[in-house]
Amino acid sequence: MLSLRSVTKRYGALTALDGVSLDIAHGEFFGLLGPNGAGKSTLMSLAAGLRAPDAGALTLDSVVITPADPAARSALGLVPQSIALFQELSAEQNLHTFGRLYGLRGAVLRERIDEALTAVGLADRRHDPVKNYSGGMQRRLNLIAALLHRPKLLLCDEPTVGVDPQSRNAIFDFLEQRNREGLTIIYSTHYMEEATRLCSRIGIIDHGKIHALGTLDELLTRLPFDEEIVFPATPVTAPLAAELGAHGALTTLEGRHHFQAATGFKLSAFYARTEAHGLSPQLFTAARPSLEAVFLHLTGRNLRE
Amino acid sequence: MAIILTLVRKDIATFLRNRAAVVVTFLVPIVLIYIFGWVFGLNQKDTGPTDIRLAIVNASTNPAAQKLVDALKADPAFHVITTTDNPDKIKRPLTEEDLRPQIRDGWYRFAVVIPADVVSTDRIGLHLKILSDPRNDIEAQTVNGLLQKTIFSNVPELLGQSLQARAKQFLGDSRFNKFNHSIADTVATAFGGDPAKIQRTIESGSFGLDRITPPAKPADPSLRRLDNGAPAPATTPNPATPAAKPAPATAQDFFSRLVKIDSEQIVGKSVKSPAATRMVGGWAIMFLLFAVSGGAAAFFDEANTGVFQRILSAPVSRAQLLWSRFLYGVLLGLFQLMIIFVVGQMMYGIDVFGHLGNLIAVSVAAASACSAFGMLIAALAPNATAASGLSTLVVMVMSATGGAWFPMSFMPEFMQTIGKFTLVYWSMEGFLQVLWAERTFVELLPILGILTGITLVVMTVAIWRLKKKQIFA
Repeated sequence: MLSLRSVTKRYGALTALDGVSLDIAHGEFFGLLGPNGAGKSTLMSLAAGLRAPDAGALTLDSVVITPADPAARSALGLVPQSIALFQELSAEQNLHTFGRLYGLRGAVLRERIDEALTAVGLADRRHDPVKNYSGGMQRRLNLIAALLHRPKLLLCDEPTVGVDPQSRNAIFDFLEQRNREGLTIIYSTHYMEEATRLCSRIGIIDHGKIHALGTLDELLTRLPFDEEIVFPATPVTAPLAAELGAHGALTTLEGRHHFQAATGFKLSAFYARTEAHGLSPQLFTAARPSLEAVFLHLTGRNLRE
Repeated sequence: MAIILTLVRKDIATFLRNRAAVVVTFLVPIVLIYIFGWVFGLNQKDTGPTDIRLAIVNASTNPAAQKLVDALKADPAFHVITTTDNPDKIKRPLTEEDLRPQIRDGWYRFAVVIPADVVSTDRIGLHLKILSDPRNDIEAQTVNGLLQKTIFSNVPELLGQSLQARAKQFLGDSRFNKFNHSIADTVATAFGGDPAKIQRTIESGSFGLDRITPPAKPADPSLRRLDNGAPAPATTPNPATPAAKPAPATAQDFFSRLVKIDSEQIVGKSVKSPAATRMVGGWAIMFLLFAVSGGAAAFFDEANTGVFQRILSAPVSRAQLLWSRFLYGVLLGLFQLMIIFVVGQMMYGIDVFGHLGNLIAVSVAAASACSAFGMLIAALAPNATAASGLSTLVVMVMSATGGAWFPMSFMPEFMQTIGKFTLVYWSMEGFLQVLWAERTFVELLPILGILTGITLVVMTVAIWRLKKKQIFA
């Protein structure tokens, strides 16, 4: 469906995308995972036809996407990273405006608006100015505004930034439902949990390059270990964490250390050190490695650096 | 105290980082002080208006009349025009018949006619005529004052001739010569001198009236207004002076009784509310510019929230987006202008509905030019704050140099030239042509063409700049 061939985009001396090639198939839920500044938003803006690449080409069903050809964009829907809505207008007025830009009129447009507002639970607030909505409500409206014209491909550029967990789950459910109905989605995020939950295939991007591409399982096979050891990041475990750094990769996420042992570092040696520090074995669990570990392994840095 | 100073330091650092605020705070006053300094002649030797176009028809063969023309030519306030082109482009002296159509067509706004009978034997005193288009009240009053100053400084000789001619008619040649001879003898006996020379001086009219001619006061509010069309009164009563205590007669009063100046207003005679009609265009266009340039800041708001991204990810081109903003500016401006004019009719009696069609045509052209200006500000400024500062600077400078605040003739020549490149000047010109000069649509076409040209040029530059801007991605 969407095809990128050796796409390069530069901003002055900075190369935001560096010869990226990628194919997204019909019905895929494709995740683009990378830290801030990795090139995700640039790739999204090129795919949305907002910018032209400096080299290479993007095609959607064999039609070249460029800013100069607005018609090619009618099969696309973009959910921008920011709340791209008219704050003074109501939800209905916003949707009416965006629907008309895609050529929707009259009864069809009204039906689509009703349907969309109902789907995200905003039907009873349809006449309220958007500025009076909560952040989660605005995010939901931001999402459905890109779907009124029933695009073939939906581009979601970090659509859950700043969203509470409840609204986030509602958005996930909504997107998964649309994907099951056949909508192709490209979803950029720096949250590995989102990519893990939603995406059938994931591309890991950093410094403008796709470092790895595949399903979650395929990506995990790239790691030289099957499991990692997870334990709390506390002052008590700090001396052990300091020592482990020399014997493998240690990352800290949300108050927990994730240790992936280097080749040759034996589990018995690990437990000997925990005993030496007087730490209970109950503090330690073995877990399947996460995408974070894959990212770290491939790029040498954390997703949130 | 340390805390207060820390917070003050923070405020200063924040202010200095906001270049737009710095521009508005420091640069705008400097530019405006400079312009006002020129207008009001601060620290300048030569002050006052310059190069006001003044047509003069001198039908008199009297050398003193030519002296009056030469005096007006020497005044830097005036750019004197005495000739016109025939259809075959050959120059010829202006005639009184040329003046009215040329004033109507805006070639100049003031004209002085010195008739052939400027010194007549059938009356005492002189007869002059001033034709005008007093579309700008301040300018008209000033020109009137300047003309009176120059005329009263130069008429004594003519006035003397007038008295001589009148006396000659009453007394007859023989008795008149005898009378002058007696006067010359008496003067020579009393003060010395050659009686024959004194008699020749008396007969030429130069018998000292010029020594009592007072300096003129151009800014004197009691000066007769050119636009009231009434014959010259001896003095105009000063409202501040109680009627029971008339001001003592002055030399100027004396001359103004003897010098009959017929004023004829050529343009704007039927305007019901002259003062408001003159002013409304300037104010309207200034408010319009502020409103439209405010739209430039809103442009950045939409770009920053990602709305532009969303719109442009639809089948919408950048050009369509930009032209939609332009059209919005035109509609906003048109409504604003119409409301200002309608309120002007309701409150001050400006005849808006009598010229509605033409007024809408000029308003559309002016609003288009202003909307394009707003787009250019958005194209040139890097962000909303800068757009706000830049537009404040440019709107105020354009309003000042374009004549919205004071007559352009009060500014130095180079500023007048700059002013004619502003949309403020041409918009005001359009409104005056409709409401003051009551032009037909066909007569308005040149101004509509200029405003449309400004719109196209400014929009072309704005779109070219905006299309290159990162604002869209």
